[in-house]
Amino acid sequence: MAVSEYNQEMEFFVDMQRCIGCHACEMACAECETNGQESMIHVHYIDRAVSVQTTVQVCMHCDEPACATVCPADAITKDNFGVVHSANTSRCIGCSNCVLACPFGVPIKFEESELMMKCNMCYDRTSAGKKPMCATVCPSQALYYGTREEIRKRRPESVPVNTFKFGELEVKTKVKIMMPKGATKIIVD
Amino acid sequence: MYRLVKTLNRQALVNATVSIFVVIAIVIAGSRNLQNFDAALVAYLFGTVFAVFGIAYRYSVWLQRPPTRLYWYRSWQFLFSKNFIPYALRSLKLFLRNILLQRFIYPRGKLRWFGHLMLAVGCVLAFAITIPLTFGWIHFTLDPNSISTYNAHFFGFVVTSFELGTPIAVITFHALVWCSVIVTIGAVIMLRRRLTDGGLIATQTFEGDWLPLFLLIAISVTGIGITYDYTFLQGRTHQFMSVTHAITVILFLIWLPFGKFFHIFQRLAQLGANIYKVEGMKRGMAVCPHTKEEFASITHIEDLKNVSKKLGFDFSLKNGGSHLDLSPEGKRSALAKAHYKARKESGKFFG
Amino acid sequence: MAKLPVSVDKIIEQFGPHKSYTPKEGFEGNFEPDKIVKTHCCFCGMQCGIQLKVKDNKVTGFEPWMEFPFNEGRLCPKGVQRYLQNNHPDRLLNPLKRVEGVGFLPIEWDDAMEKTVSEIKRIQNEYGNNAFGMLSGVSLTNEKSYMIGKFARVALKTANLDYNGRLCMVSAGAGNKKAFGIDRISNSWSDLEHAEVILIAGSNVSETFPTLTHYIWQARDNGARLIIVDPRITPIARTADLHLPVLPGTDSALFGAILKILVDNNWLDKEFIQNHTSGFNEAVNAVKDYTLDWAEKVTGVKAEKIQKAAEWWGKAKTSFLLHARGIEHHTKGVDNVLSCINIVLATGRIGKPYCGYGTITGQGNGQGGREHGHKCDQLPGNRDITNPEHRKFISEIWGIDEKDLPGKGLTAYELIEAIHRGEVKGLISICFNPLISLPNNSFVREALEKLEFYVSIDFFLNETARHADIILAGSLHEEEEGTVTTAEGRVVKINEAVTPPGNARRDKDIIMELARRLGAGDKFNYENSEAIFNELRIASKGGTADYFGITYQRIEENMGVFWPCPSLDHPGTPRLWEDKKFATNDGKAHFNPVPFREPSEVTDNEYPVVLTTGRVVSQYLSGSQTRRIGKLVDQYPQPLLEIHPELASKYGIKDGDLITVATRRGEANFPAQLVETIRKDTVFIPYHWGGKQSANQLTIGTLDPVSKIPEFKVCACRLVHTGIKASDKLKETAYQSY
Repeated sequence: MAVSEYNQEMEFFVDMQRCIGCHACEMACAECETNGQESMIHVHYIDRAVSVQTTVQVCMHCDEPACATVCPADAITKDNFGVVHSANTSRCIGCSNCVLACPFGVPIKFEESELMMKCNMCYDRTSAGKKPMCATVCPSQALYYGTREEIRKRRPESVPVNTFKFGELEVKTKVKIMMPKGATKIIVD
Repeated sequence: MYRLVKTLNRQALVNATVSIFVVIAIVIAGSRNLQNFDAALVAYLFGTVFAVFGIAYRYSVWLQRPPTRLYWYRSWQFLFSKNFIPYALRSLKLFLRNILLQRFIYPRGKLRWFGHLMLAVGCVLAFAITIPLTFGWIHFTLDPNSISTYNAHFFGFVVTSFELGTPIAVITFHALVWCSVIVTIGAVIMLRRRLTDGGLIATQTFEGDWLPLFLLIAISVTGIGITYDYTFLQGRTHQFMSVTHAITVILFLIWLPFGKFFHIFQRLAQLGANIYKVEGMKRGMAVCPHTKEEFASITHIEDLKNVSKKLGFDFSLKNGGSHLDLSPEGKRSALAKAHYKARKESGKFFG
Repeated sequence: MAKLPVSVDKIIEQFGPHKSYTPKEGFEGNFEPDKIVKTHCCFCGMQCGIQLKVKDNKVTGFEPWMEFPFNEGRLCPKGVQRYLQNNHPDRLLNPLKRVEGVGFLPIEWDDAMEKTVSEIKRIQNEYGNNAFGMLSGVSLTNEKSYMIGKFARVALKTANLDYNGRLCMVSAGAGNKKAFGIDRISNSWSDLEHAEVILIAGSNVSETFPTLTHYIWQARDNGARLIIVDPRITPIARTADLHLPVLPGTDSALFGAILKILVDNNWLDKEFIQNHTSGFNEAVNAVKDYTLDWAEKVTGVKAEKIQKAAEWWGKAKTSFLLHARGIEHHTKGVDNVLSCINIVLATGRIGKPYCGYGTITGQGNGQGGREHGHKCDQLPGNRDITNPEHRKFISEIWGIDEKDLPGKGLTAYELIEAIHRGEVKGLISICFNPLISLPNNSFVREALEKLEFYVSIDFFLNETARHADIILAGSLHEEEEGTVTTAEGRVVKINEAVTPPGNARRDKDIIMELARRLGAGDKFNYENSEAIFNELRIASKGGTADYFGITYQRIEENMGVFWPCPSLDHPGTPRLWEDKKFATNDGKAHFNPVPFREPSEVTDNEYPVVLTTGRVVSQYLSGSQTRRIGKLVDQYPQPLLEIHPELASKYGIKDGDLITVATRRGEANFPAQLVETIRKDTVFIPYHWGGKQSANQLTIGTLDPVSKIPEFKVCACRLVHTGIKASDKLKETAYQSY
């Protein structure tokens, strides 16, 4: 409906090791107009008893989204910009398949409203040429939204990686994770 | 033409064809071999038959998708188990609460819920009236022994009688007007939200979100137009009113299987998902190896492993486990740990 | 007099803290605001730029301010949620008076003013002018800070004015004045970007100044090595190249040993030491016995780590040393600061690009607020109230006889002690919540209860104001125009987004009205905030903190101007000391000898564990604002006792157990949080809460002899297991300060 000013040169880069666990992104996420004061981003300790390591997880916007594939109600769609949208409210039946199938643990089921919601990379902002809320406010820039050229200049020793291996399964995503130079994939097993 | 037919889904085609035969059969039966069928409504009947075909077709295709089929199968399996009575009661309760009263929308906003409730109540009532009328199941006759008593027939049997001019007569003959008013109120509330809510404005589409509302308003307004015409204009514009109304309704019926309105039929699956969840909890919960907390039913995780594998997502890990054994938090932590390890091994967290 | 008028429950019920949340579908009108106002966050010294959305004279939300150079839209969770302090159910809309047995009732302004002024006059007539004290705070703008300094001396005629900067960075201020003659960080943050080594001592940057993290991470992207000195592994320390887990209270030993290593290895800038400093030999002499072994024994940091830190620091070409409350909140806070400055001076890395040093000022206007005279010993422009020339200069500007200008007064904690002794009988406070923020707060409560009259100016009824006789409903940050000076010395503009709601008034108008009624109306005749600022510019002219060349227009045009800025055509000074002309008497930077001494209270058999305190990212200082914002409360709802599992096992403590922490001042119960990220001999409790869960019931009120800062960061405690798990009720009600 709104005239889209989606700038496809802008990409989303994540580096969890820069995260300081402050939750600014989480608070800002709730300000995104598309999720009605609900936060879609995940920030938490990995194991507080041994470390203050935190992780931050936005939707990775998979090329072939597992969430959409396992959705029995065809409620999740990926658009031409590669953005995997939150569940279509009229279709979602609140079954939680997507919540459990997403390899990145992103979708959230709201039990009361029998609805799944997830990060759509602040579609209200990105489609209007603005940066997503989380990456805008992130004080550590663990979440970074900019061009590939910008990130290359700022972090020359790191490379953006968007291939993930879960066992034999390979998942490719729109959002990139910053890895040490030379890395081509992240192996999770 | 042949190629088009070939691309169609055979099972769905069979189901859809059977459905329209069933519809025709009940029309014939309900209208007593068409003797009570109102010929003026034949266009509506064709529209309805088309809609039934489309809905049955799409529903069948939908049910063939592995995740949907699984839910479909599990829902019936769990419902018709030894717990039939509690599950049936639970489903009935949820049907009242969430399908009729739409309570699940309430937590997302009071006005949003009210608007949608108006739409749903108006539409369901209107369906409840127009379908039996169109099918010839209901018709009204003047009582042979009176000049002001009407008899209402259902499947050809007189079920009730009422006097002209009484409240019940006014309500009955204007029932669709009330439906139209309710639907219009709901549609206006929803339209207003689409104009003022930044989130909706960003994600809505014309054909997906605005057109359905326009269509509902068009049906309502033209419907009210018919009543307006015979009440205030002595039927002078009857033809125009009835034709425009028929066009909007038939458009709606034809579009029903394809567009947003199909969710009316999908919504029922919410009940199945609920039974699935409850039965799953009874059968045992899965514990996340990372958080050490329960997060979903074992049934659900195992079903999902199978379904996702069928769909090309095999999350089996080298150690014999599955990535799906982790809770969402566990999965996020696993990724973070993998990332930490890679960073640590490289000797550089930054740069 | 000033015991609570009714039960604390009743006060909480009426005045909060209550948690405020944004409605599910946003505040009415947020999508189409009337205006978007560029201003700054109301919290810490970073003063991040932010834009507030306003609809119908209410703040409904925010929009990042991408152009403001320091933060470019970045914010911490407090900044994101700051808009919720507006439009808040607890907001005071009327002046209140205390009614015994009833609570606080709204009254007319005239009555509130009349009562206040008559009590001030009564007490001052009966006990002398200095028997009425004033406590202020540095969340206030420069204009208000300046005005309050003038108000206390000219209208209230008391020497006893001090401020909550006394609990903040006065040790750094005193150390900086000794060493450099100016109390300001030497560089803007952008000099962090290419520093080879960054050493941060006693600053949990990632939680207390989250937006500064960006600069540190950026430096690391450029290859910087990061050294963190902290008894805990904080998020900024987690990936640091070197973490020195120092025993609380031993920082100066660590830096003394590092100085010795620099000297022993000749990692010195001899040219700089020779030409631009004094006191080097004395400083070196003071640490001559501080061997690595000794330092390891005292600080608990492994010798090789200290050696490595010294080596990295010594061999670097560029470097930046930052410290904050962790080394400043000590009875040797000034010593700690000086020991840091010594290693900076020894390597000559100051006054050059990417070579910097400074304290990270805590409060919103911690920098500007400590320069313009609401400190007990200070006059505007960071002038000295005991210096006859300075007194004369300011008296002329204020239009008073120099003899009528009061002298040096009591510092904040000394003022409380004087109240406790019965020497000070009346108190006016603004923007200060000492019942939570001062150490040994049972003592503070006793003092408050002895006051004959206490008037508080605030926008919420904070915990201290529960003891007030009169509360004057003042203004929020976004309700009054003004300027603040950020931690990097940049003077920025706070813009008025909304007007005060109900009958609340702007702080400036309250002070002006009080001054008028105290007979000094002619000296407080400001048309607007800019008029106050223009007087401040003149009053600061020629002082070390010279704002003369800074105007509202210049600030707006340049998104801030760095002081000193002595003339209208001066560009401002982001980096100090480029000319190597220091502001001391001899024009040189001063080394200071720092012999190590113990903290005021050390562990013994009775109190065997070290207690240290600090902050969490979701709360700000005494929490008067942040304990009213729902999501910030929920993020970290109650103070937890951080304890190492090894120490915990000695007491049979498990995660979530309720533990009594006892010191010589008092005891309180906290749930244990077992973490390996803290020293094995130290426990940590954050201090933002009041009432029974206030960490400052335990801390010690001993002061640094020079800066008079209390020793929040180290005291001795004893742990006793209560035998039960911590209850949810404790967690759910902590923010309310029962």
